[in-house]
Amino acid sequence: MNKTYHYDKENEWILARAYVPFQIMNQVFSPNEALKNGTLFPELYRPYELKPNKGYGGAYYG
Amino acid sequence: MDREQKRLLKEIMEISFVLVETSLYLDTHPNDQRALSLHNTYSQKYSELISQYENRYGLITNTGISGYPWNYINDPWPWEINFDIS
Repeated sequence: MNKTYHYDKENEWILARAYVPFQIMNQVFSPNEALKNGTLFPELYRPYELKPNKGYGGAYYG
Repeated sequence: MDREQKRLLKEIMEISFVLVETSLYLDTHPNDQRALSLHNTYSQKYSELISQYENRYGLITNTGISGYPWNYINDPWPWEINFDIS
């Protein structure tokens, strides 16, 4: 048995599935803004914002 | 490196990045006509900027046509450029 997933057949748990919405281009940044923002597409522009450290590993950016 | 050369180089980098974005988008959306025309417009612009730059300042890539003497080695090297002053 695969111990990593702890997949229990009797409980019929469903494994995770990835879902990615299909992008449709609308407005775009100017070349100058695009290079600064790291993307041409406003819908993909998500700048990192440092959240206060919660005291355990890693931080949530979103 | 004068202001105008730096400005041109920056613009080339900007357009070049837009082309990365449009081409990646088109890889998954080959039938998006607006995206395609955006790409082609910037591609045209890119060629113009490259020839403009190379005519004035020498080759920007090793594949170009150089006057005498070979001008790909002209200063400054990329890491010697201070882009802070725009």
